[in-house]
Amino acid sequence: MSTVAVMNGNYAAATAARLARPEVIAAYPITPQTPVVEYLTLFAAEGSLSSRMTEVESEHSAMSILSGASLAGARCYTATSSQGLALMYEPYFRASTLRLPIVMNIVNREMISPQSVWGGPQDSLTLRDAGWIQIYVEDNQEILDQTIQAFRIAEDPRVLLPINVCYDGFYLSHMTERVEVPEQAEIDAFLPPYEAKHQILDPRKPMAIDPLTSGYLVMEYRKKHMDSMAAALGVVEETDKAYAALTGRSWGGALDLYRMEDAEYAVVTLGSVTGACREMVDEKRAAGVRIGLVKVRCLRPFPKAAVAAALARVKGFGVIDRNVSFGWNTGIVYQEVRSALYESGRTLPSVPFVGGLGGEDITLGLVSKAFDEIVAAVDAGRTPQSAVWLWAPRKGVKA
Amino acid sequence: MSALDLLAEREDMISPGISACVGCNVELTLRTVMKVLGPNSILAIPPGCMGGVGVVGWNKQSGAKVPVFFPLLDNTASMLAGIRLALDAKGRDAHVVAFAGDGATVDAGFQALSGVAERGDRIIYICYDNEGYMNTGYQRSSSTSKGSWTSTTPVSKEGQGGKRQHGKDFPMIMAMHDVPYVATASPAYIPDLVRKVEEAMKVKEGLAYIHVYNPCLTGWGIRAEESISVARLAVKTRFFPLYEARNRKFKITVPVPNPLPLEDYTSRIKKFSHLGPERIAELKDLAEERYRFLEAVSAGGGGRA
Amino acid sequence: MSTLEKDYVCPVGEGIYAANTGDWRTQRPEIDQEKCSRCGTCLLYCPTNSVRRVEGRFVIDLGYCKGCAVCAAECPKQCIAMIREGRK
Repeated sequence: MSTVAVMNGNYAAATAARLARPEVIAAYPITPQTPVVEYLTLFAAEGSLSSRMTEVESEHSAMSILSGASLAGARCYTATSSQGLALMYEPYFRASTLRLPIVMNIVNREMISPQSVWGGPQDSLTLRDAGWIQIYVEDNQEILDQTIQAFRIAEDPRVLLPINVCYDGFYLSHMTERVEVPEQAEIDAFLPPYEAKHQILDPRKPMAIDPLTSGYLVMEYRKKHMDSMAAALGVVEETDKAYAALTGRSWGGALDLYRMEDAEYAVVTLGSVTGACREMVDEKRAAGVRIGLVKVRCLRPFPKAAVAAALARVKGFGVIDRNVSFGWNTGIVYQEVRSALYESGRTLPSVPFVGGLGGEDITLGLVSKAFDEIVAAVDAGRTPQSAVWLWAPRKGVKA
Repeated sequence: MSALDLLAEREDMISPGISACVGCNVELTLRTVMKVLGPNSILAIPPGCMGGVGVVGWNKQSGAKVPVFFPLLDNTASMLAGIRLALDAKGRDAHVVAFAGDGATVDAGFQALSGVAERGDRIIYICYDNEGYMNTGYQRSSSTSKGSWTSTTPVSKEGQGGKRQHGKDFPMIMAMHDVPYVATASPAYIPDLVRKVEEAMKVKEGLAYIHVYNPCLTGWGIRAEESISVARLAVKTRFFPLYEARNRKFKITVPVPNPLPLEDYTSRIKKFSHLGPERIAELKDLAEERYRFLEAVSAGGGGRA
Repeated sequence: MSTLEKDYVCPVGEGIYAANTGDWRTQRPEIDQEKCSRCGTCLLYCPTNSVRRVEGRFVIDLGYCKGCAVCAAECPKQCIAMIREGRK
């Protein structure tokens, strides 16, 4: 039996972490993640969280402490945002290549400069090739559900990789929604205790972690890492099904499709902009436009076959990115989707949108304009060579 | 048990064959420290000489008989703090130990170490200070003595150059964190080192920090057989005093009432060979000032432990 | 099975790797047991842990000895001689 509560996204993440019973938590506060740290310390003070927690002096040390704790066999949790993630980069990359199943929420925030504390997934998307699993969610219920599932995915013997559950700063982190919270006993059954078998720092079983390693072995370990990434796609789907059996909620696994069955056009999204786009799909459908939505949940591993299959029958599509890929001059997700389609041998007209940077609102009006642009470009067989910018006209600002 | 009995009887926890330079007193320090700590230890060896010579092992083999790992250059103390938390969570105990060079300690690793000291994470941190990045050919560190030749503070044919700044007084900086145990040690005073490691093992709350001064044969230009005698001269000239501090209560463990001339030490080391009397005097003045400071803080306030 | 054939998920090592550092030696120490005072200084300061105490006497295990001559330099009785290798 679950209980229903109204909570913001950060509280949902902290609640999920509590339910997962991590043995060690280390986190450093940064806007907009800060309340996650505060909630966890409060849970500990109230006695509802038994994790060993430590107040670190930086994100670099937060990830380093968890790396040590994970090497000693502990289940580990942390959360961060933007500059904190950037500072963490060195132990972040290493946590994946040491195969440490750490769970970390990333409360997505724009990377500076310009100086900004508001939302946008540039922080985690920039690190998409650092070997972590990255899952992006759309609302507070999904934050809670996916963060719980993340522990099971990461610790699965076929996976053994760290995982990020990413959610938008402020739009989700600080907005309250209705959230169903499972019972502790249900989660205990869903998440058996973690037992490190692939490596352990334990005087009863002395071993060296990360000896000097020659190139052919580096290649061997990289290949195994990539094989596990591939296996993780199936585990994400399996775990979604197992969680649905427990709670009645499925989030679709690696991809979530909305009204794609007979769609002629598609919009591809990531994160909280999905809500507005789903609403607009209904509106445009009511006006006779057969458009559907593909929400990318799993960015790493990228579900390339599923993306190609989802777009197999559309005439064209657009991608709404709240981030940029410098040099490609489009968003990052756009490049991912295009690469997935290349393998399927199909060339489709497509529109790369960029908007919502630094927490800028992507209004329903902007989404409507984007959908109209998709239809117009696809009907004309046109693919813009660089990003179509989604921004509202403002006084004194050149649109 | 005497240091000799202990070292004669205890098992060497390090691989018998590590590729440290011939006569290396860091190899001696590591083997000694790990004999004292024993098998119930988890050892961190960050990038540096001891990592480079194979203490963490090679490919799929280990260089130690205890669990050993490479932290990053800059997160040794944090990773050990995490191991301690995991052991606490599982209700187990072990010595959680760093054996790190000065680069990983006084430079890149300082923030993590200072954080551990302030939070009171229970780890034993041993720094082998050879005044620079020796494993990569002796680049200067913030521990390098003023005037030293290093590969990044070169010396001209006319004898001009060398490092322009004094090294940090790092063990004193650690003592000022008000931690339960800080000590300095030397490979030329093994019984003193053994006792200090045993003291560190008794600390049940917080950081135990030992700073060992290890003159580097290859980098500094010292003959192999003088490995220990030069280290001893650093103490006898007051250049590197041996002391310990418990929560800011200091005690000089090897008093040097009548110091030898500093030249007795510097003249044995090639990296100082370009220094004239004035520049040697500058080193001597600082050493004397640091020693007087140490005597002053050791004298009052419970200094006589 | 050699350790290199072991199938690890991630970079770990088991069993001891030892470089044959005895091969580096150009000179070897020899203790004059008549002059030796059994003080153990050589054991305390040998960097490679190559000195053993056997029934109160100190003997050198040359297996990994690098021939650094620290023992000879530190011996207070000066009873350790360094002998050039290769002249048996």
